[in-house]
Amino acid sequence: MSRISRNFIIAYVVLVGLPVLGLIQVLKSGRGLAAPLSVDGTWKLQTDASPLSKSPCGNPATSFQNPLLQISQSGKALVLTLSNGAKMTTPGAIEGTKIRAAFPPSATGSNQTGCGNEGALVLTATVDPKSDPRSLVGMLSVDNCSACATVEFRGERQTAQDVKGAH
Amino acid sequence: MPSLFTLVLQIAVIMALCRVVGSLFRWIRQPRVVGEMFAGIMLGPSLLGWVGPQFSAYLFPPSSLGFLSALSQVGVVIFMFLVGLGINPKELKKQGHAAVLTSHVSITAPFVLASFLSLYLYPKLSDDSVAFTSFALFMGAAMSITAFPVLARILTERDMLRSRLGTVAIACAAVDDVTGWCILAYIVLLIRAAHTQTPIWLTIGGLIAFALIMIYGVRRMLQHFETIYFQRGALSENLMALMLLLVLSSALCTEWLGLHLLFGAFLMGAIMPKEQKFVRYVLDRFETVTVTLLLPLFFAFTGLRTNVGLVKGREMWMYCGLIILVATVGKLGGSMVASWLTGMPLREAAGLGTLMNTRGLMELVILNIGLDIKVISPALFSMMVIMALFTTFMTTPVLELICPKRILGDEAAATPQVVLDRSQRSARSGLNGAVVELDS
Repeated sequence: MSRISRNFIIAYVVLVGLPVLGLIQVLKSGRGLAAPLSVDGTWKLQTDASPLSKSPCGNPATSFQNPLLQISQSGKALVLTLSNGAKMTTPGAIEGTKIRAAFPPSATGSNQTGCGNEGALVLTATVDPKSDPRSLVGMLSVDNCSACATVEFRGERQTAQDVKGAH
Repeated sequence: MPSLFTLVLQIAVIMALCRVVGSLFRWIRQPRVVGEMFAGIMLGPSLLGWVGPQFSAYLFPPSSLGFLSALSQVGVVIFMFLVGLGINPKELKKQGHAAVLTSHVSITAPFVLASFLSLYLYPKLSDDSVAFTSFALFMGAAMSITAFPVLARILTERDMLRSRLGTVAIACAAVDDVTGWCILAYIVLLIRAAHTQTPIWLTIGGLIAFALIMIYGVRRMLQHFETIYFQRGALSENLMALMLLLVLSSALCTEWLGLHLLFGAFLMGAIMPKEQKFVRYVLDRFETVTVTLLLPLFFAFTGLRTNVGLVKGREMWMYCGLIILVATVGKLGGSMVASWLTGMPLREAAGLGTLMNTRGLMELVILNIGLDIKVISPALFSMMVIMALFTTFMTTPVLELICPKRILGDEAAATPQVVLDRSQRSARSGLNGAVVELDS
């Protein structure tokens, strides 16, 4: 074996072989990492909006009978779009199994007085990580409004086939 | 269904903006493709959707995006065919040990660094539907890619194709791209296999059989295109249509086998005859429509999916900065160190590293696949697009700083030269004249 070939092999082992071994080690150690629960996708919610509609601040939510909830996820950061004809979009977050987002009054169309702190419509939900397809339970409430009733809902994540069928 | 009016309006606006911004970027001595990428971002939620949401909603209603996506995908399929066409395996074999080592290090260095970064980013920017292995491998592949056509274009403009630096850069970029696409194929297979009932061994077996048929069967048939071209001096419209049909069929096969359209198109280009005049002829026939019409649609579609607003707050911008840093250190640093260790002067080695750090359009293609198969999140997609823009944008000024034309001129003067036209220059450098006119 010539000196050049030997040097090449040594350089190759050091500069390519060793990093590849490092990569394998990283892939092994990374398997133990936990990422936030996946909630990305379209969720079909089942809800009864009537209690909220009777509340002083509930008008914006009356149109949301069994709405679709679209969630775009980037780690813990979410963008939620609640739609049933009209659409409301807001950022949110997931911590563990809990989702929380607040639709500002400008999004809900509510600017009535007496609706608490700016009358934001707050969505909180708990995801069941073991269910397949993934499901959640939660409630819609009006921020800082003691007179306003909450609306409970259940949701199930739509599969790709469900979403295609819906369109 | 969107009206034809909407679609034609979209195409007109996209083309006009891409031409204008591309020309502005040419004016500041940047490749046109960088300007067109930037124009695409401008049309998306990062600028137009933010400044004029109503106009944006009118111009790009969600129901119309499927048509725009389909058209842009056709453009990328043809583009990948052209990229494959530009890669000549025989020329790569001529490169010495130094080039082999440099190209492999320029893949492994950013790949390994990206996997380390993934340890940090995975819990923050991904979710549990994506396995860490897929995430880390994708990040590695995305960071180790080089924009072969943009790099070739920059070298042509700077009259560097014949230089040692240019030759090694082209060889390394070609090796990087082929390797990057192989790794990406593996990741796509892994992820798609998890969502289908077809056993993965069947998919892999099918793909190996397809590749063997293409390389040892179809490739021989393709020689007839070259033979007819040299007999008649041109290919008839029917033959060009047949060639396009073969590209589309190959793309459909890889998609049907569970991979992706683009791999089939790339493979078809790679196994086409490589005689330089023939390659230049085919490029000339395809690239005008592809580069001026279809690729801008792809840039716009990518821009519509890129929301810089998702990179919100100091923490997210820090992740974005880290991605740019790791991508640059891995690619630029890795290529530079490897080429320097193999005997290239430091200045040239730094120039090579800078060239290899060009990601351009190839990065966008890979990122769109990643977003489609949901291995990366929308925020991470946006950060990676910013990284692609940044690393491509920095190439020309940094190269001018490290390897000014004055110095290159001195180097060139030391070796005998003849004045060559573009196709000759390309051919001598092993490019077969296959510089896709991304930024002419």
